[in-house]
Order: sequence, then C-alpha cells, then structure tokens
Amino acid sequence: MRLFRTTLFTALVAVGGALGTAIPAAAQTTLNVVTAGDQNMVDYVNNFLGPRFEKLNPGVKVRAVGTGPGDAGSQKIYEKLSAQQKAGTAAWDTDVAVVHQRGAATMVKENLLAPYRNEVAAGKLVSRDSAKNALGQNVDGYVIPMFHSQIAFAYNPDVVKQPPTSYAELAEWVKKNPKQFGYNGVKGGMSGVGFVMGWVSANSGMAEQLEKGPYDASKKAVIDRSLASLKDFNQYVVMTPGNAGTLDMLNRGEISMGPVWVDMFYTWVADGKMPPQIKLELPRPGLPGQPMYYVVPAKAANAALAKKFIDFAASPEVQAEGIVKQFNWYPGIDAQHVKAKMDEKSWNKLFTDISPESLASYGRPFPLSEYFTDILEGYERVVLK
Amino acid sequence: MNHRSWAGLALAAPALAIVAVFFIGPMAMSAVLAFRGKDGGFTLDHFAKAFEFYSNDLLFSAAIVVLSTITIGVVAIAIAGYLTLGEHPRTLAILRWLYRWPLFIPFIVTAQVMRTFLAKNGLLNHVLIGGGLIDPLQAQSLLDWRGIVIAFVWKQAPFVTLLVAGAMASIDRQHIEAARNLGANRLRVLFGIVLPQARRTLMVGLVLSFVTMLSVLSVPMMINPNSPTMLTVDIAYRINSHGDYAVANALCLMSLALASLGAWFYLREAARKAERS
Amino acid sequence: MSALSARPGIRWGDTVARVVVIALLAFAIFGPLANLVLWGFAERWYFPNKLPQEFGLTYWARVFAPRGSALASLWTSVGIACLTVMMSLAVAVPAGYALARLRLPARTLILLIFLLPQAVPNLPVYVNIARVFYELNLNGTVLGVVLVHAAHGLVLAVWIASAAFAAVDVSLEEAARNMGASAWRCWTTVTLPLALPGLIASAIFVFLESLDEFTGTYFVGVPDVTTMPLLMFNASMGGNYQIASITALLLLVPSIAFMLLVERFLKADVLAMIGR
Repeated sequence: MRLFRTTLFTALVAVGGALGTAIPAAAQTTLNVVTAGDQNMVDYVNNFLGPRFEKLNPGVKVRAVGTGPGDAGSQKIYEKLSAQQKAGTAAWDTDVAVVHQRGAATMVKENLLAPYRNEVAAGKLVSRDSAKNALGQNVDGYVIPMFHSQIAFAYNPDVVKQPPTSYAELAEWVKKNPKQFGYNGVKGGMSGVGFVMGWVSANSGMAEQLEKGPYDASKKAVIDRSLASLKDFNQYVVMTPGNAGTLDMLNRGEISMGPVWVDMFYTWVADGKMPPQIKLELPRPGLPGQPMYYVVPAKAANAALAKKFIDFAASPEVQAEGIVKQFNWYPGIDAQHVKAKMDEKSWNKLFTDISPESLASYGRPFPLSEYFTDILEGYERVVLK
Repeated sequence: MNHRSWAGLALAAPALAIVAVFFIGPMAMSAVLAFRGKDGGFTLDHFAKAFEFYSNDLLFSAAIVVLSTITIGVVAIAIAGYLTLGEHPRTLAILRWLYRWPLFIPFIVTAQVMRTFLAKNGLLNHVLIGGGLIDPLQAQSLLDWRGIVIAFVWKQAPFVTLLVAGAMASIDRQHIEAARNLGANRLRVLFGIVLPQARRTLMVGLVLSFVTMLSVLSVPMMINPNSPTMLTVDIAYRINSHGDYAVANALCLMSLALASLGAWFYLREAARKAERS
Repeated sequence: MSALSARPGIRWGDTVARVVVIALLAFAIFGPLANLVLWGFAERWYFPNKLPQEFGLTYWARVFAPRGSALASLWTSVGIACLTVMMSLAVAVPAGYALARLRLPARTLILLIFLLPQAVPNLPVYVNIARVFYELNLNGTVLGVVLVHAAHGLVLAVWIASAAFAAVDVSLEEAARNMGASAWRCWTTVTLPLALPGLIASAIFVFLESLDEFTGTYFVGVPDVTTMPLLMFNASMGGNYQIASITALLLLVPSIAFMLLVERFLKADVLAMIGR
C-alpha cells in the first residue's frame, strides 16, 4: 500500500507542476476569442490574427477556443453568456465571439451583446443587408461579418455531365440517377436545412415573402404542400450523416452531388479529402448563405481591446490576406474594399466555379426565423412521417 | 432512523453532495422548463409536442439500446467466460491483450471511425471485396441502425467484459475444478457455476451501458442523424435549430424514464439483496 | 465460442476454430482502429483510392504548432483526470461501503441519484450547470472542471465500489474481529484489500471518463482551462479527420499508461500480501 501511496503522491506533485505551467502567467492581458465553426477558424485566430495583433499591441495575448461547427457551436457560446448573465457575473470571460446568424439574433434579443460597430473604423465598410438583419432580427450595430458563407451544390462532373440548374431539373435528374444525390435532412446540420429552405422557396412561390416578411402563420399550408413533393424526392436520394457526412460521401464517391457549405468544401480540398474534379454550382432560384459575425459580449472583461481586435480583423488588408487569400472564403466586409487590396488573380480564384453574378442573384438569405421554424416542423410532419 | 442508518448516510453524504449540487440542482432548474407554458403556468403541451413529433424516435432509441445491451451481454459473457475457463495459454494471452482496445477510444472517435469504416465505400467493404467474400455490387452502407448498434457494442462490450472477467476471476477456483472433475463441460460450468456468481457485476455493467448509450449524442449524430434516429439527436436539434429548451427538456425526461426502466432491473435486484442481508 | 465446448481428442479442429475466432475478433477490433491510424497520417485520401495516396506528418505539425498549445492541454487533461480519480475515489469508497454494508434509508433512491448524470442527456442541462459554477465562482478553475467530471464519473466509482464491498465475504471480517482486530484495522487489512481490484477497475473507468469529456470542460473550464478532448471534439464534428485522429491517438497514450500503471500496482500489492 505504501508504494502505491508514494507513487500517487509523486504523480500528484507532477500533475500540480504541469497545471502550474499550463496556465500562463497573468502579467499580460489575455484576449479571449471564442469561435463557433470549424477547427480552421480557431487556427485562423491562433496562427494568423493572433500573432499579428499581438505584435501591434505588446503585452496582449490572444487566446482562441473553438466550440464546434454549425449552429450547435453558436448555441454553446450563447449558453455560456446566458449563464453568466443569470449568475450576475460582473466581467464575462469571453471578449470576442464569432457566431452564426441564429446565435447572433438570440443574443441580441436577450441583451447579451454590446453595440460596437459604430465605434470602430471597419464598421463603415459593411453595408450589406446581412450586417443589419439576421433572420428577421435587427442586429444593426452589434455585428460585423467575418466572412460570408454560402451553400452550393458540389458535384462530380465525371458522373454529372450537365448539372441541373434548378430544383425542377434536379427532381428530374434524381429520378434518372437514383441514390446519386445526397443531403443531410434537417437534423444533421445547416447544409441540409439550407437545401430544404431552398426547395420550399423554389416550390412554394413565396421566396420573397419568406426572406423579407411579413410573417403569416396561415401560410403553413402552402409550405406543407411544397414539402409534400420533397417527400417524393427523398425516395431517390441518399440521406447523409451531417454537413461533414455529405462531404464524406463525396470523398468516397458514394454520391456524386449534394449541398455543402462552400467554406467547408474548400477546407476539405485543402486537406486532401476531396477529389480534385469536384465542382460547385448554385441552382435557380438559389440556396441560402449566411455570414459569421464578430460580436462583443455585453460585459466582456476586455471590451476596449475586443473592439480594437475586431477593427483589425475586419480591416480590408486582413480580409484580403487572411479570409480571401488563405482560405478562399467570401469576404465579410463589402467586396470593393477588399478587392482594392489584392491582386486580380487571387480575387478571381474566389469565383472559379460560381460567378459573381450567380452568387449575387442565387445566394439568398435564410428565411425569417418564424418561417424557418414552420418549414423545419413542416418537414418533420410531412416528410419524416 | 437508527444509529447505523445515520452512519451510512454520513458516509455517503460527500458523494451525494457532489452529484446533488453539480448535477441534480442544475437538472431540476432545466426540467421545470418542460412544464412551463408561455404564460409561466403549468402545462403538458411540450410533452404532447414531443410525443407528436418524436414518439417514433423514442421507440427507435429503446429498440437500439435494448438490442445493443443484449449483444454486449452476449459478447461479454463469451469473452469473460473464455478468459476464466479457457485452457490454452497463448489464446488467453492474446485475447486478454486484444479485447480491451476500444475501452480507450472515446465515443466521438468511435463514431468517427465507424462512419468511415462501415460506409459503402469504406474499409470494411474494401476488405470484404478484396477477400472475395462479397461482390462489389453487394457492398452496402451499414450507416443506419446497424451502424449505431455496431458502434455501441464495439465501444461498450470491453467495458462490461472487463468488469465481468474481474468478477469471474475472483470466484473460488475449487468450485470450478470440482465440477470439471465431475465431467461437466465448460459451457455447463460457465452457465451453471461461474455466471450466477458474476451475475450482479454483469447487471451493473449492462445497466451502466444501457443508460450511457441512451445519453450519448455523438454516435447517432455522426452515423445516422436522419429519421428515425435517437432521442439525443432530437434534443440537440430542438436546442440548436429552434432554441426550444422546453421540448428538449421534455424529451430529456422521456429519455430518463426509459433509462429508469433499465435501471429498475438492477435496482430491484440490489434491493432484494439488501433485504436479505 | 466453439472452443468452449471442445473436448480433448479433436485437437486439430479446436486449433483452427480458435485461430479463426481470434482472427475475426482482431479484425473487428483493429479494423476500425486502422481507419484511425490511417487518417492520422493521411495527407491525401479520396475516391477511388482505397488507401491514402499520400502519407505525411503535416497535421502532426499542425497539432503541435507552438500556439496550438496541444502539449499543455494534454497535460492539463491528464492532470484533471488524475485529480478526478482521486476525488471520486475519496468520496466513493465510503459511499460504496455504506451502500453495500449499512442499512441505508432509501437505498434504491440513492443508487439512482448517482446514476442520473450518466443517464440524462446532458445537453439541455449544461446551461444551468454553467450558471451554478459561475455563481459559485468555480468557473474557469481546475477544481470546477474536476467537480463536473467527478459528478459524471461518480456512478462508476460508487456502483462498482459498492459491488466490490458487497462481494467481500463477511465471515472473513468477522473472523478478524473475533481475533481482536479493531474495526478500523479490520477494514484496512481485510475489507479494503479484498475490495481493491474492484476499486481499481473503477479508477480506470473514472480516468477514461474524465479524459474523454469535453462538453462539461467547455462550459466550466473554457477559456481558462482547455483540454485536448475539446480540440478532438471540434475537429471530429467538423469532419477534420486528420486532427481528430491525431488527438485521439495522443489521448490513447495516457489512457493506456494509466491502465498499465494501475494494474502493475495491483499486482505488486497482491504479491506483497502473500508474504505477510
């Protein structure tokens, strides 16, 4: 028994020592950046933004933590802020958060965020609608987009010679090519949800109203009718396990077409997980996209520094060098400011598969949150039953 | 209450306090949301909605977990039984070394490897086709209920085996030797002598696996999040896509009811044992 | 297990059956693990290639990038797991003993209470767990993370400890007491050593449970305390198989080391007992 105890004690001391070194000395200010989304967003803050910002601001250490992809990642940030609000914590432990539209809308509604856009210079470089409105919630002043993310069809041109350009053509195509199209339903992530939203927009004839309002609860019947055709459609397609699941099946050649997030797609290409021939395409009348937002929690411990950080991260130089050049993501601030800071070739790489015109007309916002709920629940009632 | 009950409660108090403060309290705070209407009054609407939308998934979850638990039990008895009664030293050494590996693999990693292993063009089918066991056209994806069951059994069977093998090892060898000398074959010894004495441990392991599988999100989420799926996926979906904690908590309580049903088997046995002593 | 029913005399068929069964089991266990190892070193792997076209260490370099602080978070994970084991055992041994041996009111209820953290899908509860920890000023501390892990692991520790104590033959204790040993001496020299294998098994499970946990760590520890499973979770959910596989492989090291260490002491202890 003694041997056991001595060793345990030694282990304890070693552990204590390790913990001591794991927690950095408090001599400097630590800026906590918590980001939803894929691991590469954490890497982006850690390896690209962090060192550059620290060089400009001696004594500051940028620490990035990821919360996981999709709305689930944003929800976890929301829950942590909400917990601090309810506990009456004076200084919140998150200085900058990067969240999806749905998360930002909820946070603004529950007073978890500080308005800051008008206090930073980069705030003047954003004018698109999605910088002011998230799923019908007014977020004007609370957010600056980090990058814009878009859902598109990825397809393998070896199999799909002529990709369908509309939902009607797609419905025809899957009948001729059963089990070649795959999407991830509504419970496995937003690329599947986005596809369902696009389907309803195309087949209900109320695309405009879904995005701009006004909300009309009596339209549920119209939505349900457009979903009935989706039930039929589903017989000919593969249901994939999640956003990454769709990419996964494209990777293994099990499907030859499916809706994916463009930014995720490029990450998979960069990581050597996507056959090089796979291309992207946007169908008529469109698929949804959304920005990821930089936000500052209402009681961030280092609010002033947080604003400085976002101002830096949203500057045209950083957007050009980091967001567009390094990741091939659509910029968050208005395009002309970013385009001016970079060479033509790198800029055009963004539009290899999807032209700027196609993106402008077929890249759509998500429906208002009330319609969003109606469509999802309609899907569960009509399609899944 | 007599002196001994107070002593017992005092001994259990620190452990109970940790669970009460850091889990039961927060859980109660969440669970009330399942009964609170928009106006703040009591309602069962959230349960009605949960049933309307997810009763299929409730049954699906129950079926998956029961099937997985039974399979885990069979695998654990087989391996632990051989470890106790087997006579071939090298086989025993290999088996002992072999069976534990999945124990060290977290659920989420299990889900991830199974997703790429069991897929239509995954490693499993490559091996089967390469070995001439199936035709390429016969290759099919196992990423449905089968994938979930396989992942659960793969991950949990070693856990139960380790427990049961430990319990079997502590059984008095004399009983076993005596029975063997009387001519009983190993199967009879296993079911007649060894297993009854390890029964309680087997139940503990199976009940723990049963409830754990009910509350794991990553396996159904990464293998088959589409309909029908397990309740944990629905809970995550209600929260992440709808911000709907009310229905999520109602589903959570439904899942708890299912878990209690499983735990009841064990607790009944434990209670009976307590009465005897 | 056809080997179970085999009789001497049919040796040859027996051997074949044994080899086949072991081979199948090995494939069932290492097949999926092979995927893990392959992805850990794959630089390029897509259809129609059945195996990675290009192997390399790029992603290992990424995990160990100085700013990623992977090693620090791995150490934090191990430290937290050790502390969780100590805390769990410290409270589970008396609780397990009481549940096995003493007449407890509402014993069944108490057993069920320990099961709750494991049985309830945690997602809707974490927002309130975080709130409680913030209110107690435990958020962002190692102690907080240890407590949240312990609350989850306790069922393993308590239930298994209780089963282990229940299995100890009461007549042995009575014999010791009859020979004049004090209650405490009887407990430390008879009861505890006999229950030790079970307790050690529970330590392994609590250790693994803590080492794999990420959601509780996020809500209670982040951003001040970060562990390796957090990285693994992000990478895995996003389909970043390389990073997820590497972190999983790294986490294998402390898991297996702890198991070997504990088993070694178990054997040493048992051997030491024989001489006395």
